[in-house]
Amino acid sequence: MRTDIVKTYKDVHSWVGIIAGLALFVAFYAGAITMFAEPLNRWASAPTGIAAPPPLDRTPELIDKVLRARPDARAAYTVHLDTGPDQPARLSWTTGTRRAPGPTFLAALAPDGVLQVVRQDASPVSELVDVLHQQVGLPFRRNIAMPIMGVISLLYAVAIISGVICLLPSLTKDLFALRFGKNVKRMWLDLHNLLGLFSLPFHIVMAITAVIFAFHDQIYDVQGAVNRIGAATVERRSPPPPGQPRPPAYDAVRDTLSPAELQRRIAAQAPGFALRSITYRHDARQAAHGDVTGVDLRYGMRAPTYGRAEIDTRTGAITEADYMPGRQGPWFAAVTSFFTLHFGSFGGAPVRWSYFLLGLAGAFLFYSGNLLWIESRRRKERKAGAVTQTRATRILASLTVGVPLGCVAGISLTIAAAKWLPADRADLAAWHSRIYYLVFVAAVGWALLRGAARSGSELLWAAAGATAAIPLTTILSPALAHGWSHPGASRLVDLVAILGAASFAAMARAARRRAVAGPRDSVWAAPAIATT
Amino acid sequence: MSRPLFTSRDWFGKASAATVLGFPLTMALTCTFATLFSTDADAFSAQRQLAMWLASPIWCAILGLCFLFRNGARAWGWLALANVGAWALYAVARLLLG
Repeated sequence: MRTDIVKTYKDVHSWVGIIAGLALFVAFYAGAITMFAEPLNRWASAPTGIAAPPPLDRTPELIDKVLRARPDARAAYTVHLDTGPDQPARLSWTTGTRRAPGPTFLAALAPDGVLQVVRQDASPVSELVDVLHQQVGLPFRRNIAMPIMGVISLLYAVAIISGVICLLPSLTKDLFALRFGKNVKRMWLDLHNLLGLFSLPFHIVMAITAVIFAFHDQIYDVQGAVNRIGAATVERRSPPPPGQPRPPAYDAVRDTLSPAELQRRIAAQAPGFALRSITYRHDARQAAHGDVTGVDLRYGMRAPTYGRAEIDTRTGAITEADYMPGRQGPWFAAVTSFFTLHFGSFGGAPVRWSYFLLGLAGAFLFYSGNLLWIESRRRKERKAGAVTQTRATRILASLTVGVPLGCVAGISLTIAAAKWLPADRADLAAWHSRIYYLVFVAAVGWALLRGAARSGSELLWAAAGATAAIPLTTILSPALAHGWSHPGASRLVDLVAILGAASFAAMARAARRRAVAGPRDSVWAAPAIATT
Repeated sequence: MSRPLFTSRDWFGKASAATVLGFPLTMALTCTFATLFSTDADAFSAQRQLAMWLASPIWCAILGLCFLFRNGARAWGWLALANVGAWALYAVARLLLG
């Protein structure tokens, strides 16, 4: 390939990388954690005071008591077939409208058969990590953050294409070469290339889907407007009357099949689809109907953790399967594949772990890209006769340390806070957000103040400490505060946090060694700390 | 005389062409796809959803490959021409299929 083309794309790759890299680090690190949003939710969910969920056979009694006592549950209530700390009740319903949801209530039966209803105080912490992931860590309102994320995703796509073009000429020579030697830049470049090329399919998927997650409304609007040119005007459906519709009468919502019977009938129609929940709905237009969610690991699923279908709650017939894994038509399966490939919602735990590791590797890819930029600036500047780094390079080096480590420490600490903050506070989400951004801003400020070399190991120790706070919280918070410790899959959260903290501690030691013993003209050098 | 060299100096001309003209080009191609394969008028049919999704790989490819144009003016020229062709294709598809 012509060297001038490669040179052009090398420039393009450097600049889009340096603009988008740090935001993409946040997106990938937070995204890797969202792979385990469900165990995290379990870990962070406060125990409720209600009785254990009744068995499925006794659930009709619970449903009947709720429908009699709570008219606000009649239009839509959900029976959960999977229960656990994050979903502690057999039956729940959400008040308000779809656009403005009110509180969610949980119902159970006391041992003497008396109905118990409590408001659900779901932990907002995994939601916060998901929002950080979706908005690349930007603390703005969604309608502002999403277009910015979209532009970053487009730059990310350009970075992928330009990176591949740069790598093509030396592909066979460089691919498996990992030259850990005196030339530090060579080592980082080899690592960057190897990681980038082997996770290329993953990155292509993420770039393409993220652009759509940012801009789907705008694209639909333009395509819809084009499609309406010269077409017969369609009459718009009149909007529903404002305000809350009156809840249906008790007699209108009674003649539905029991959850156990629906489960049997759905299993007969869709073997292999493990039902997770059934939502019974009733409105004036459609009368009784409903939808189900469930898992079928043999197929991709439309939502991050489940697929869904619509059913007739009086007969159990599946009435619409456009988003049901394995039962959708080829066109819908093609659309679902985009979601599935982004969410890793296929194949179960092995795929989730792969996505987790690919996400962390992606975060590292952007970090190593920034390092390469800084190292090549150093070489250029040294050739030009400069012995010290320019201010721009110093600031970028500080940000390359402060932003990723601020993100890591912020996420860890706000997760740990879930068992210390009072679970029934209405503004809990705001508190988790404040803790994250406080740590993040402090880390970035510290990195700018102290410089990349000193703050590198210091902030890595801070990240290790913040991550170690997660298992420490599980041990200490039940004794010292109102905390809790659930058995089962939430133990995984503590285990991964221990591994994470140990890795950050190891990196902190390595960073200090480099600062003391590395090349003196590097932004990573801080020979002075050897004597302090 | 050697061939004119590619450089990244004219990046703004090329990238702006790929942004400003690449988007309508993408819309023409995806709307043609939707017209060819849609079986009903539903705005959120699977075919129209897929047409929406295809906008991303097409626009990303244009943005990534636009630096292969010799210079900014050529990028604007070729992409404008491609727009005319793609929208003509769309018009033909609509006229034939409704």
